[in-house]
Amino acid sequence: MELVDLPTPQDPAEWEERFPMLGLGVEAVERVGDDWVFDLETTTNRPDWLGLLGVAREVAAACRGRLRPPQVHLEESDPPAAEVAWVEVADPGLCHRYVGRVVVDVRVGPSPAWMAERLERSGIRSINNVVDVTNYVMLETGQPLHAFDLDRLVGGGVVVRAARPGEVLVTLDGQERRLHPGALVIADRERVVAVGGIMGGLDTEIRPDTRRVLLESAWFHPVAVRRTARALGMRTEGSTRHERGGDPERARFAAARAAQLIQQLAGGRVLRGELDVYPEPQPPRRVSLRPARLRRVLGVEVPDEEAADILQRLEFQVERGPDRWVVTVPSHRRDVEREEDLIEEVARIYGYDRIPETLPVEVMGVGVVAPEVDAERRIRELLLRAGLTEVLTLSLVRADDLERVGIPPDHPLRRAIPLRNPLTQEHTHLRTTLLPSLVEVLRTNRARGNGDVHVFEVGRVFQASEAGWEERKAVGIAQMGRSLRGTWNLPQEAVQASFHSLKGVVEGLLEALHLQGWEIQAEPLPWLHPYRAAGLWVDGRRAGWLGELHPEVCERYDLRGRAYVAELELAPLVEAARTIPQYRPLAYTPAVERDLAVVVDSSVPAGEVVRVVREVAGGLLEACEPFDVYAGPPVPPGRKSVAVRMRFRDPARTLQSEEVERLVERVRTALRDRLAASFR
Amino acid sequence: MQERVNALRQRAAQELESASTTEEVEALRRRYLGRKGELTQLLRSLPQLPQQERVAAGAALNELKEWLEQRLQERAEQLRAREQDSRLRAEAVDVTLPGRRPLVGREHVLGRMMEEIRDIFRSMGFEVVEGPELETEEFNFRRLNIPDDHPARDAQDSFYLDDEHLLRTQCTAVDVRVMPRRTPPIRVVTVGRCYRRDVVDSTHMPVFHQVDGFMVGEGIRFSDLKGVLAEFARQLWGPETRVRFQPSYFPFTEPSAEIAVSFRGRWLEIGGCGMFHPRVLEMAGIDPERYTAFAFGCGVDRPAMVRYGIDDIRLFWENDVRFLGQF
Repeated sequence: MELVDLPTPQDPAEWEERFPMLGLGVEAVERVGDDWVFDLETTTNRPDWLGLLGVAREVAAACRGRLRPPQVHLEESDPPAAEVAWVEVADPGLCHRYVGRVVVDVRVGPSPAWMAERLERSGIRSINNVVDVTNYVMLETGQPLHAFDLDRLVGGGVVVRAARPGEVLVTLDGQERRLHPGALVIADRERVVAVGGIMGGLDTEIRPDTRRVLLESAWFHPVAVRRTARALGMRTEGSTRHERGGDPERARFAAARAAQLIQQLAGGRVLRGELDVYPEPQPPRRVSLRPARLRRVLGVEVPDEEAADILQRLEFQVERGPDRWVVTVPSHRRDVEREEDLIEEVARIYGYDRIPETLPVEVMGVGVVAPEVDAERRIRELLLRAGLTEVLTLSLVRADDLERVGIPPDHPLRRAIPLRNPLTQEHTHLRTTLLPSLVEVLRTNRARGNGDVHVFEVGRVFQASEAGWEERKAVGIAQMGRSLRGTWNLPQEAVQASFHSLKGVVEGLLEALHLQGWEIQAEPLPWLHPYRAAGLWVDGRRAGWLGELHPEVCERYDLRGRAYVAELELAPLVEAARTIPQYRPLAYTPAVERDLAVVVDSSVPAGEVVRVVREVAGGLLEACEPFDVYAGPPVPPGRKSVAVRMRFRDPARTLQSEEVERLVERVRTALRDRLAASFR
Repeated sequence: MQERVNALRQRAAQELESASTTEEVEALRRRYLGRKGELTQLLRSLPQLPQQERVAAGAALNELKEWLEQRLQERAEQLRAREQDSRLRAEAVDVTLPGRRPLVGREHVLGRMMEEIRDIFRSMGFEVVEGPELETEEFNFRRLNIPDDHPARDAQDSFYLDDEHLLRTQCTAVDVRVMPRRTPPIRVVTVGRCYRRDVVDSTHMPVFHQVDGFMVGEGIRFSDLKGVLAEFARQLWGPETRVRFQPSYFPFTEPSAEIAVSFRGRWLEIGGCGMFHPRVLEMAGIDPERYTAFAFGCGVDRPAMVRYGIDDIRLFWENDVRFLGQF
């Protein structure tokens, strides 16, 4: 290797494994002739790795080699550079250091093959010998450089300043850039000539006839470069490096190195001296390190000697005290700010793989699950047991999904929170309900010929309200098609999803949660079939809805059949749920069952009949359930027969049939009086 | 008499043979052995026979009666069995027709993996918590030592709702929400959704899942981080799994590492980890001199793809029941 002297020969193939152990990810390795080309991924805290020298320094530290940076011997000529060009920093907040070099009498032409090749392998197109040198030195040192045609700079110099309103620049790529006020720019006496650290202007670029070159090697403020690049939507090799923050000390070396190479490749003379604006040089940072803490944090006995040696190999200076060392940070490692950073440096070179695997000696505790996590888990398990399959759908929806699924414009569920910066039309809002996502699941499956879909999702929904933005968990259920397999010879209505199959799932869930006071009542909702829709209340609190999806919505989603959907709120269910159900004694006395066929007006719901029975039958009624509903002859038109089965039991004694008859009679009377019922 | 007995036996034998139902057998029994049955009457006529014939005739008749009773019973048994068989034969089912199968609920493959992850950390004494998906810059970035101008804050990468609110980009935000509310030792884990402004393709979705956890205590070491995550990896990926830690960089941890596990002969990157940066602890009101902490964050979706051999991340979100039914 050109840049490092290594004590022992290294096998490049091994470095595919070794680079990552230093923190340099290997994206790809390619063999080009005798060369190994590594495509390395660097972390954002290490701008020094954006130059080969930085990587070489790391390799040297890791294998106890010696870094061999390129030697710069400039032959400088008169007049002094300062007499032919000038450099100014108008806003020191934008630029901490600006080093200029002037090379005159250059002959611009193609680069030698070795340079063009190396650039190409690094993904940079060869342009001409001057521009190529700036790129080459950038790859070598990590310092971005720019070359201006000095003769085209009005006034023969440059100033670093913020852009003024209305300023425009045509950049090297031929694009016209409108600069926002405050953008980091380089200007001559009259106009902007470069977007600082990002890209030069077309008008001052190096051309075949360029004779005098002003080289720029600067340390621009990373934030200024980042903001400007973002505002312009630009990202270049230079901007990436500036954004990470380089090493102001490196700027001088890079400028000299570039000047020397230009002289070598394009002839010309380097004018004496550099134009160096560096108002506030940064003193080296000093950080203290306690070797004891290093060992305590890492959990490995790194000897003092080894820790100090590692830091010194990385070019840190170490002054060792008894408990506390003072470590001077080299200028290229501005990322190292405090003790933990030094600990990481030692760990990195020592080797993460040499740190043992231990288990914490902290007091052992039993892991607990937060109530909201546990509740979700229980509900999920119950729905799985009910035969529903879990789905996951995106929380981001289209703007018109809510409308499409039948939620009217003034409905609270239309108060979806919009993303300020959506990426696509598909995902512009946060969902307020799981409904559109679940209907989409039905649609996808139907379109692919999967007709039997019974699914649920426990997920979060978001809604804008007067109080602000609300985030809560909901349980969504969607069913279509058969809920049984192997349905040969079975009547369709027994196996197809229906309002009551959906209701059954909901009831099962509520029962398994040991909820007491819940109620399901007819309630028309705009997205549901108006006569097959219901609301759920738990302890008087609204907890969800269920029903058949409105036929129009089914049609809109091309479901080609009926679909049943429900959405329950997690919070009211969980808050009313009893986690430790209490035992109720079993009755061992015989029960007496009586059936009653109650003929009522068609508009009377069966639930009304049951409610009246429960109310008047007294404490001996154990259960009452409708088992047949019939309309048609001999039941008169406009009426229907609801047959209910009542079960009476006294846990303490055997019931006499006469007392049961008395109760049934009381029930008949009440039904007759309250519901105008007759009996079959 | 002996001749009559023989003739009777022969006739009875023939009639029994031709009887085809238990009812017919019963009729025969009545005919021969009933109160007015032929044999009964013969037996009844015995006393009228002369003394010297009576003994022999009695013996012959009784022998015939015994024989007949036995034959009747045998025949009745035989026919009962035949009748039952033909009755049951009529009820034969076709065992090759499909069974009536109630639906069996399937966990979503990601849901199942997240449950597994929660269980593993819970068994290691972690508290399982959750936090909001709709986050503030404060918790999503600032408290994680990601200053305003840090490249990670690029709006290119996050979905914003307004200047201060965004959809959380990692679950580590939950860590820094939980930390100030507890006193060490703390071990907490969370599994949930995160959002990133990614264009949808076979390996990217704008919504994905992460498991994130941390542990704070006196004397928590980097080696403990390695130990706990290695244990986690062996639980999830199998006992032979090896875990690799490589230096990395995150603003909220120092030292930082990337975690990879060995799976079917290759390294699979699963996430990042490190020792919580002292500044993160300070911001959470925890004295970094006294306490140290490790933290980790791992992906769920892409590791799940590798684990189950799924080649397109979009399959997770399409919810094709043919896909869901495979896990």
